[in-house]
Amino acid sequence: MVDVYLVGVGGQGIITAARIIGDAAILAGEKVLLSETHGMAQRGGSVICTARIGDRAGPLVPDMSADVILSLELLETLRAACKASKDTVVLSSTERLVPLSVSTQKMRYPSQQEVADKMSSLAKAVVMVDAAGLAAQAGSPISSNVVMVGALAGSGAAGIDTDRFEEAVKANIPRRLDENLKAFALGVEAGKAAKA
Amino acid sequence: MSRILEAKSGSTVVLMGNEAIVRGALEAHLSVATTYPGTPASEIGDTFAKVAGKAGIYFEYSTNEKVATEVAIGAAASGLRAMVSMKHVGVNVASDPLMTFAYTGTRGGFVLVTADDPSCHSSQNEQDNRFYALFGGFPLFEPSSPQECYDMAKKAFEVSEELGQPVMLRTTTRVAHVRGPVRVGEISVGPRKKEFVKEPTRFVTVPAVAKARHLILLENLSKAERLAEESEFNTVLKVNGGGKRGIITSSAAANYAVDAAKDLGLRVDLLKLGFSNPMPSKKVAEFLRSHDAVVVAEELEPVLEMQVRSLAQREGLSTKVFGKLDGYLPRVHEFDQAVVTSGFARAFSVQLDTPGRCELPQDLPTRPPVLCAGCPHSATYYAVNKATNKKALFASDIGCYTLGVAPPYSCADLLVCMGSSVGTAGGLSKVNDLPVIAFIGDSTFFHSGIPGLINAVHQGHRFLLMVLDNRTTAMTGHQPHPGSPRDPNNPAAIMLSIEDVVRGCGVKWVKVLDPYDTSATVEAVKEALAQDSVSVIIARRECALIAKRDEKGAIIRKHFVDQEVCKKCRTCVTKFQCPAISSIDKLQTIDPSLCAGCGVCAQVCPYKAIKEVE
Repeated sequence: MVDVYLVGVGGQGIITAARIIGDAAILAGEKVLLSETHGMAQRGGSVICTARIGDRAGPLVPDMSADVILSLELLETLRAACKASKDTVVLSSTERLVPLSVSTQKMRYPSQQEVADKMSSLAKAVVMVDAAGLAAQAGSPISSNVVMVGALAGSGAAGIDTDRFEEAVKANIPRRLDENLKAFALGVEAGKAAKA
Repeated sequence: MSRILEAKSGSTVVLMGNEAIVRGALEAHLSVATTYPGTPASEIGDTFAKVAGKAGIYFEYSTNEKVATEVAIGAAASGLRAMVSMKHVGVNVASDPLMTFAYTGTRGGFVLVTADDPSCHSSQNEQDNRFYALFGGFPLFEPSSPQECYDMAKKAFEVSEELGQPVMLRTTTRVAHVRGPVRVGEISVGPRKKEFVKEPTRFVTVPAVAKARHLILLENLSKAERLAEESEFNTVLKVNGGGKRGIITSSAAANYAVDAAKDLGLRVDLLKLGFSNPMPSKKVAEFLRSHDAVVVAEELEPVLEMQVRSLAQREGLSTKVFGKLDGYLPRVHEFDQAVVTSGFARAFSVQLDTPGRCELPQDLPTRPPVLCAGCPHSATYYAVNKATNKKALFASDIGCYTLGVAPPYSCADLLVCMGSSVGTAGGLSKVNDLPVIAFIGDSTFFHSGIPGLINAVHQGHRFLLMVLDNRTTAMTGHQPHPGSPRDPNNPAAIMLSIEDVVRGCGVKWVKVLDPYDTSATVEAVKEALAQDSVSVIIARRECALIAKRDEKGAIIRKHFVDQEVCKKCRTCVTKFQCPAISSIDKLQTIDPSLCAGCGVCAQVCPYKAIKEVE
């Protein structure tokens, strides 16, 4: 059983990422449950999805029990800290989407180093991925969600073959497939760092 | 969405609970589907909207949940199968026809889908609609997974027709919005036409008919209980081999209960009630009789627990029962595995190894949902604050614009339900001296704002009603409404003019304006508040997300902050709010990838430092 806890910001394609993981699990012959929490629609708020692969009945991931934290945004990685344990693999995009509270309430956005340090103190492995940069390199700047799914596949932490993930990407991303497959492949390479 | 229609019989596809309900209905000879959108039910209507034409059924986004229910009743009373879906509070709106439709009963299968929202993820309360099943007398199905959503949607139509009674299918957020594998069958929709056979002694509920029909309802509920006794959805699961301790559960709570019992290593029998009203009392009594101690695990209200306890008393059973009424499980907010685990551990005296508590880093910047870049509501709220100097009372309503409650706008002082802004503004204006402004969205105005406006005109209330008209039902996913310029599902739909409706209600002072023009809006608000009767401003500008989607390739007039002119007064973030504008260490900048080109910030800046990119 593998619990993947996905976090990000509305509009980043996090639900699509969860659906790809769900389809990959089904293709691999696994059971899977996906959930999404996005409060009042997608108006730039925090979004949480879960993907529970294996024989689980409830869709939510309890605290300190995620096998993987897959984050599309740096601050949201830190907000997911309570789901991490000594067995958790953290795969985080380094992308920063600065919320309005930083402007209006003068709250401080943490540095990448602070996020990495905090997560490293809790988890087994932390991999920071320049998802936005890799997506741009692949020719589809909006595909950082696909890069991060690739990172999950490459990390091996989901226990599912990379080929199954690739099939699931094809089934869920009808447009600009070549660019997305390239984004996925770049993510796979980046994710391999989790095995080191 | 195409996988709803394309999935072949016998195949397994990953579907959201809401999608699984649609697929189940399409396999169960459905003819008519109606809805008013509301989270977490919205995807049911949205899925129907996408497939109705191809599948050959009739679907509509109705004006509100009461109307949606009545349209479905018309079809079902004629003998066709009909489904009406809504969020939990929608059932409050629809409760009037529903309560009496239970008396007349139905000819064609009728399924009401209510999506409850424990923890109020996107709702104004967390009411438990299972009480409606008891209140009105509706056989009730409570799925706990997408597969059960599909299975029970099919079964609900069968039961409804067998009993001649409307049936309720109740999901919660963690059922409706969960995706999981669903094994599907063959699509088989119902006919489009069926002649209504007149039978006024059943369908016209004058007092003599209603009195007689109430007896028939109770008889049919007895039959329903016999079906529940035999139902394949009411089964006992042995966890870790089973034992003398038991759990009675339903819906999403059943999932947490299974996981918790497994992880705790509890040897228990788990009675899961999927067909939970009428409660199968023989089956439950037998379960109580054969166990020493039973925990009732259900989210929100102790609906099952009260019935279980009363049944135990009736049957003279001494089985220990634990639940919410004695504080073992909470009566508020959604469950998760940890909540259920702790309840089981206390009730069954199991020692828990308590892992260390996780400390979330302090002072993380919050990220609540906000009004989008280019949102016309933002411009309206800015102008209203400028016109009133914040010296006004604001009656708000349900929609994206409720987000105006947050600073810097603080444009919401009272909000209870859909359409309430107009009525509450009338009450506020009668007992307060401050000027009163009511905000209502276009979809909400049609939903339930009109009777309040008629009342205000008739009673001589004095307030300003601002209809924030973004041409769509934005919050729930851009569904069309009677004033929308287009309805993809119904090209023949006739667009109603809000200003005509407002004038038709007897309002004398009506103004339509573009909220992007802030000075015109400020002047109009001042003028409207000077009237001695109810006045109406229609602030009309298409939702920025739709404008962005539909006008791909159009020139967007991106803006930037000219740092040489900027006096660092921060008016652009203290009086206005836009996700594209950030202010860090007194440096104000506009993110060009987010800027929607509305130009409102350029009007807000007192030093003209915000300019259009050449």
